[in-house]
Amino acid sequence: MKMQKLIGIGFFGAIAYSVLVVGIQVTQINTAVADEVVPAGDIGRGAGLWAQNCARCHNMRDPKEFRDDLWKPIMSHMRIRAGLTGQDTRDILVFLQASN
Amino acid sequence: MKNRFNTRQIRIIMMGTMLALLSPFVSADAVSELKNELELLKKQISDMQQLLKSQQKTMASKKEVEAVKQEVKGVKEVARTGNEWGIADSVVHLAGYAAVGYTDSERADGGFNLVTFNPIFHYQYKDLFLLEAELEIEVGDDGETEVELEYATIDWIINDHAVLLAGKFLSPLGQFRQNIHPTWVNKFASAPIGYGHDQAAPLAEVGVELRGGFNVMQSGRANYAVYVGNGPLIEIDAGEGEIEAVESEGLASNEDGELVWGGRLGILPVPGLEFGVSGAWGDVGPEGEENLLRDYRAFGVDAAYQIGSAWDFRGEYIRQRVGSQAASAAPDAATFKAWYLQGAYKFLPSKWEVVARYGDYESPHASQNQEQWAIGANYLFASNAIAKFAYEFNDGLKGAATDDDRFLIQLTYGF
Repeated sequence: MKMQKLIGIGFFGAIAYSVLVVGIQVTQINTAVADEVVPAGDIGRGAGLWAQNCARCHNMRDPKEFRDDLWKPIMSHMRIRAGLTGQDTRDILVFLQASN
Repeated sequence: MKNRFNTRQIRIIMMGTMLALLSPFVSADAVSELKNELELLKKQISDMQQLLKSQQKTMASKKEVEAVKQEVKGVKEVARTGNEWGIADSVVHLAGYAAVGYTDSERADGGFNLVTFNPIFHYQYKDLFLLEAELEIEVGDDGETEVELEYATIDWIINDHAVLLAGKFLSPLGQFRQNIHPTWVNKFASAPIGYGHDQAAPLAEVGVELRGGFNVMQSGRANYAVYVGNGPLIEIDAGEGEIEAVESEGLASNEDGELVWGGRLGILPVPGLEFGVSGAWGDVGPEGEENLLRDYRAFGVDAAYQIGSAWDFRGEYIRQRVGSQAASAAPDAATFKAWYLQGAYKFLPSKWEVVARYGDYESPHASQNQEQWAIGANYLFASNAIAKFAYEFNDGLKGAATDDDRFLIQLTYGF
């Protein structure tokens, strides 16, 4: 029982640690090579990702339903729910903001 | 200086001069007619001069026109960039959903048995933090209003691939409880059997969770969630000598002193197709027997596939198992497991959708075991405003509520 518990803790700890390390390194690389740490969203990619991901769980929502500023927390919420990357989220966000 | 006479005025003067010169040779009537015409023309000229003067008084100068143009340009710029909602560091957003429902069971009178309102609060600070909280406000059987905190987390957006959640969060095991359960998202008027409270699927957890996603190859994607939390509360029926239920609504206490670890990994090899595998494990001390630890294991798989805009398929399997403990009042192990398959089709471009679902739930208690076929039709007033009609063919212990077929109507609105 204790051994299984240790294996479990080690497994998930390793995943969590790897994600953090990789993420921090990616952020540092971006910081070093570009003035803009966070790449901007791409409307074209966003349109495709919007079509591919939103309907994974629910009916598609019209971009016109919300103002630009409201789409931001909505997309942050959906990023967490759907396991989107930050770049995917920014791409979809700029598409929604450009389409409402 | 400009010429003071225009062509018309010159013509009038010439006519007058000619009239004077020719007057001895023309008749008196002709002279009178010409005089009248001359007077009329004089009057017209006078009127025109007055009109010209008044127009000159009211006309803006070139300088004034330029000033107005600059002002309009400035107003346009303010309108374009001065949206303070768009530039605020903190953004507040209210989302949520509500539902009302009517149920008519085979051996019970029909009634309106569902009124729920679930507001969801989002507070975001830059791209750094997001506070999310959902309340479930429900009218109880006795008319009292019941309020529960479905989840409340402070989310630290670490980077493009990781978000750390702290607080009470929805269980990431499987898809239904974390993503599909909101009434405006669920295509049925009821949850799959085994996915309700105190059944096979864990509902929520209190602790910390790391979530995120990655790109895999060109078109593939992966998402993950790992967590550690207080774990479920195991309820024992000492009289019957058995484990009553695994209560997994998320506890803000850890009486047994043991934490539970878990997570889910989802893979999308192509857009629209997702496979997931989930698991959780740890030790748990049942209520009243906190020192008598026993194994807790959960395992689940799930899949979802969307074809175009019309077809939606999904299915899940989940199992929770509490191990044996010889010293306990309920010494035997207990397993709660459930699975379902669901398919839905939208008759585009109409607003109708049909859905069918098969589910099976097994628990250590015969009165809870159930098998279900269900069919439904939904009318989508909008993507987030839906009327659902469903019929469940239930097969459970004879005489128990789980054996009653049911007809359900639900109106739901997500915002």
